[in-house]
Amino acid sequence: MNESGAFAMKRFNSPAYRSMLRSVEKPARYVGGELHAVDKSDRFFSLAEKDRVHFALCFPDLYEIGMSNLAIQIIYALLNRDENVFCERCFAPAADLRSYLKQRSMPLVSIETMTPLSAFDIVGFSLHYELAFTSVLEMLSLAGIPLYAEDREENSPLIVAGGPITCNIEPMAPFFDLVMIGDGEFLLPALLEIYREHKASGRSKTDFLRSVCGMDGVYVPSFYKVDYHDDGSVKEIKTADPCAPAVVRKAVVRDLNLAPIPCDPVVPNIEVTHDRMILEIFRGCARGCRFCQAGFTYRPLRERSPETLFDAAEKLIQSTGCDEIGLLSLSSSDYSHLNQLTRELLRVTDAKHINLSLPSLRLDAFSLQLAQRLAKTRRAGLTFAPEAGTQRLRDVINKNITEEDLFGAAKTAFENGWDRLKLYFMLGLPTETEADLEGIVDLAERLLLLWGEIPKTVRSKRLAVTISTSIFIPKPFTPFQWERQISIDEMRGRQSHLASGLRDRRVSYHWHAFESSVIEAVLARGDRRLAQVVENAWREGAYLDAWHEHFKWEIWRDALTLIPGGADFYVRERREDEIFPWDHIDIGVTRDFLNRERKRSKEGRLTHSCFDGCAGCGCDVWQTGLCPAALSGRDRSTDREKV
Amino acid sequence: MSTPLEIQRQLSRVLLFFARQGAAAWIAHLDTMRLFERAFNRAQWPVAWTEDAFNPRPMLVFGLPAGVGIETRRDPLEVTLETPVDMNCSVEKLNRLLPPGVEVVAWGEAPATKKSLMSLVKAADYLFEAPKICRAFEKTFSSRPSVIVPWARKGQVKEINLTPRILDARKITDDTLCIKAGAGSENHLRVDLLLEALVRDGGLSDESAAGARIIRERIYGDLLF
Repeated sequence: MNESGAFAMKRFNSPAYRSMLRSVEKPARYVGGELHAVDKSDRFFSLAEKDRVHFALCFPDLYEIGMSNLAIQIIYALLNRDENVFCERCFAPAADLRSYLKQRSMPLVSIETMTPLSAFDIVGFSLHYELAFTSVLEMLSLAGIPLYAEDREENSPLIVAGGPITCNIEPMAPFFDLVMIGDGEFLLPALLEIYREHKASGRSKTDFLRSVCGMDGVYVPSFYKVDYHDDGSVKEIKTADPCAPAVVRKAVVRDLNLAPIPCDPVVPNIEVTHDRMILEIFRGCARGCRFCQAGFTYRPLRERSPETLFDAAEKLIQSTGCDEIGLLSLSSSDYSHLNQLTRELLRVTDAKHINLSLPSLRLDAFSLQLAQRLAKTRRAGLTFAPEAGTQRLRDVINKNITEEDLFGAAKTAFENGWDRLKLYFMLGLPTETEADLEGIVDLAERLLLLWGEIPKTVRSKRLAVTISTSIFIPKPFTPFQWERQISIDEMRGRQSHLASGLRDRRVSYHWHAFESSVIEAVLARGDRRLAQVVENAWREGAYLDAWHEHFKWEIWRDALTLIPGGADFYVRERREDEIFPWDHIDIGVTRDFLNRERKRSKEGRLTHSCFDGCAGCGCDVWQTGLCPAALSGRDRSTDREKV
Repeated sequence: MSTPLEIQRQLSRVLLFFARQGAAAWIAHLDTMRLFERAFNRAQWPVAWTEDAFNPRPMLVFGLPAGVGIETRRDPLEVTLETPVDMNCSVEKLNRLLPPGVEVVAWGEAPATKKSLMSLVKAADYLFEAPKICRAFEKTFSSRPSVIVPWARKGQVKEINLTPRILDARKITDDTLCIKAGAGSENHLRVDLLLEALVRDGGLSDESAAGARIIRERIYGDLLF
């Protein structure tokens, strides 16, 4: 599998290249040469230009972030399996390399063969957060590629995007030729195959876009025209091309066992942010927490079989030699075969000094037992996410955690000597009042009291509780997509209220900067008019905005003045019947269902999870996975392991 | 490259000599350590772990860290194994599973001493390739009894005299200089400081210094064959 050959080595003979590497921090970010990095240059040059597809897989953030991302590893392995497809990686350069390239007018190049992005057939961006938007523009600009799709010539690369946030890509719509929505495992290879045929026959870009725009998961922004009311809200979304479907439905991998797991992932030579093997145990979520976009957009819930996973884990351990393996999902405890899988995995990992990490566990006895089994030295501490301080508000957001769950879990944890507890909350959730903030303070105080009641012989010597808050951001395709985001003044007020309440020295309070939450909220529910704002912010120097040290509020605030109403227009509460900028995207869950959920939230009514029957979200159309509608007729209890 | 002295030997304390070039020359020392830890895992070497209850580590000792951007040809690495292994097979397997540019070029039994590998290291050969580097070297060192450069570390600036740290120098071509320099815990020569001095005192251009190719050819030390 080790295919990185002479071609990749040549660059190191150049004094100019060495000089560039010596002028930047962590040059290993840019040089490639990792285990399992693919260099198919011999094959590349043996093929006629028209017979191959050269794909630049771009991640609009630093190498360490991008290489921690499972999507990058999946797509890289998947595309390079095709002998006519040549997929190479490119990450956003850090500020130092970015200025180096700019000063010398050097183009941004791929890692594997140092090909300028402008020379690829397709440049694809994997998008995971809104604050990466300006980095996309920077990468295009560094590559000398015109930003706007309409300004690009026939011989310019096709600029495409995929990833979880493409469910509303409108603020970036004018920049992309094609956007993929939903699961990419089968969609992307299929698209590339059609692209290759088109390229070989010399047909135009528009021809290609027309021929694929009817596929599930393919969205061609230029084929839609958006009209606005005078107040700036959307009046109508019309198709602007006869081939374009009125509604774009997301792509869904119906059987996750058929979606390839990258068992020979690229092993970075330097430490990356999440430096571990990743095993995705299931996709989708049955819970329906009303603030959680992933919880709805990844539906229906589809599991991988424990056999598939165990087999993949063994291969991953063998092929990477990493010392940690993380199970990935939106709610680990919901995996039907968690007991069996962890038991089998631990047998292997324990023998090999490998840590098994399992995020997103629920607060039940089994989870705690498991957490204890996993944390060999208990250094990591326990993390709970009650999200809200009172039961009332937790019911509003449909977070099915009760105080009994929380205190029961904490008691068990204290009795077993855990000394660090981290609690996550959101500020600014719909209907939040001062009582809910007091609830957080109260919860922290009662946890300290509870710890005091545990016999000294079993509890730890000291206790550290961390309360961490983030600002609620209303997201498309959630029941809260209509809700407003609280104002900056409210954010400030609520944070200081909490900070002054949490006075015990055993409790530390962490919060996130709130200006970037505003921009995230603006972009998340944004429309096409925001493209000029993103462009303007980028022109004024916004780049790598997800990094606290790079985020510049003033730039964004000024750029938003281009739109009447500015940020306030986007963070406001939306009218019930308002047309959303993303209404032509069908993500599975229906607007009706989300609206019903919103009403239930206002009444503080819980909605049961998919495990307890169908709540009618709309994802039954795929008739697959653990969707109760797909399982009807079968006895569900036989599918789920008794724990 | 040197070959093992005895064929088919079973060893439990091993001294490996590894080369790194290409992309692998651009990683820092800690990353090199992790790179080898993972490679040993992949090759299923039974590497022993330290007894530390809270932070057990695989028992690997590097003779001398290599800075970012320095190629090495024969750097020593000591590995302690739980059980002896057949070295020929094991090294071959390891080499197959190392990333491109990293290779074990020789091996032998680890020195029978209680001293750490690092304390055994005394000197190293370096090869520098840069335009007119030999002239710059001569100009820097021939006319002065000592060449002193500042070295900033942890907020303090120390003055380092490079002259006693250079044990021998040989011109290969005008642009290729071979140096034998002190290395290890005493008398260690930092090659970045040497290049700085060549720029400051020898007229080497900044550009040549930044683009120089630096290769550590070998490391000398007590008991290191």
